[in-house]
Amino acid sequence: MKTKIALLILFISGNLFAQEQKMTDAEIAAFKQDVNVVSKKIKTLSTDFVQYKHLDFLSKDIETSGKMIFKEPGLLQWQYKKPYNYSIVFKNGKILINDEGKKSAVDIGNSKIFGRINKLIVGSVSGNMFDDAAFTISYFKIKGQNLAKFVPKDATLKKYIKQIELTFDKDEATVVQVKLLESSEDYTRIVLKNKVINAKIDDSIFTN
Amino acid sequence: MQKSTIQFSLINCFLAIVLISCGSVTKNYIPKKLDKTSYEVPYFSDSKTDYVYKTNITVYGNEISGIFIAKKINDTVHRIVFTTEFGNKLLDFEISDNSFKVNSIVSELDRKILVNTLKEDFRLLLKKEYLVQEQFENDSDEIYKSKDGKRDNYLFISKKDHKLEKVVHSSKTKENFTLIFSSENNIFAEKIQIIHQNIKLKIELNYFKSE
Repeated sequence: MKTKIALLILFISGNLFAQEQKMTDAEIAAFKQDVNVVSKKIKTLSTDFVQYKHLDFLSKDIETSGKMIFKEPGLLQWQYKKPYNYSIVFKNGKILINDEGKKSAVDIGNSKIFGRINKLIVGSVSGNMFDDAAFTISYFKIKGQNLAKFVPKDATLKKYIKQIELTFDKDEATVVQVKLLESSEDYTRIVLKNKVINAKIDDSIFTN
Repeated sequence: MQKSTIQFSLINCFLAIVLISCGSVTKNYIPKKLDKTSYEVPYFSDSKTDYVYKTNITVYGNEISGIFIAKKINDTVHRIVFTTEFGNKLLDFEISDNSFKVNSIVSELDRKILVNTLKEDFRLLLKKEYLVQEQFENDSDEIYKSKDGKRDNYLFISKKDHKLEKVVHSSKTKENFTLIFSSENNIFAEKIQIIHQNIKLKIELNYFKSE
């Protein structure tokens, strides 16, 4: 039975690899152009997400889910609703945390690393990460989707993230999946759905 | 006569104070005959189960939260991973009764004293079998004493429903840290607290099922 499952997984993943095709230079240019046009229009964005934490030794991915809300220029709320309530707000150089009703705040001031994280999250969700000089980027096509792989150049960042993969819907040119690969082949996969762009979002939402 | 009685009571009082202040951990328990020579803990023993807990760590007034994951990967070894809510791995250990390996740890947590403390805490948390040398009881619990190097572990099993409620890790005279378990079904623990008596460290684990 185990062998059968292993073979099946091999077959499926083999298939996926087979579908992954490198873009030509012209395709890369067109793709970047599409994404840039869409992401430039984004003033607000809200989306539901499901997060799958994959660790090789576990029998099942750890699944958590919730909602993400972003408002220009730098308000961000990441809210887990299931199976627990935990939300984190990035706002004016502060991180506000609400952990099952227990509130705390961290002043990040000009902390470079948190600035990076904020930029990374917003960039990942909006898709506008192509100008980031901190990554080596490669581009692929999959059926109905585009895939961009970002490898950090910085050794410190590389210790935490081996690679970021953004999957885009081909027609909408928006991100549908974010995959963060850790150095040891373990990864976090975040699937975005029910995305709403430029709905009116009040600043007061970004409190905890 | 009266004078010597007073003296005698004074000495007694003094002795009593000395005895209480450096008294053994078991002073309030009544010794009894051993009814078993070993005790098996069910809470982390199933190799098919992913043990996943939402975790809050309070250390000297600072709070860290995240997800604690434990899995039995062979007969003796557990793999332990602690991640943030976002999924970033903060530490990754392999631990058994007599082995310990750090697969990875972020530099911010990579302090010898912290790693050693967590190693001791987690080793006891995941320990499957305790050999019992002495037995005691109080009103609510059967208490088994199990040697652990220079220290001892005291296991508190409730008389009412025969569940392991508490493990106290202590030296001859002082408690070092305590594990407190809450379990509905006596198969796994929904809630666990690890409380240190000599440093300001408390770890709270709440089991959660992902959908």
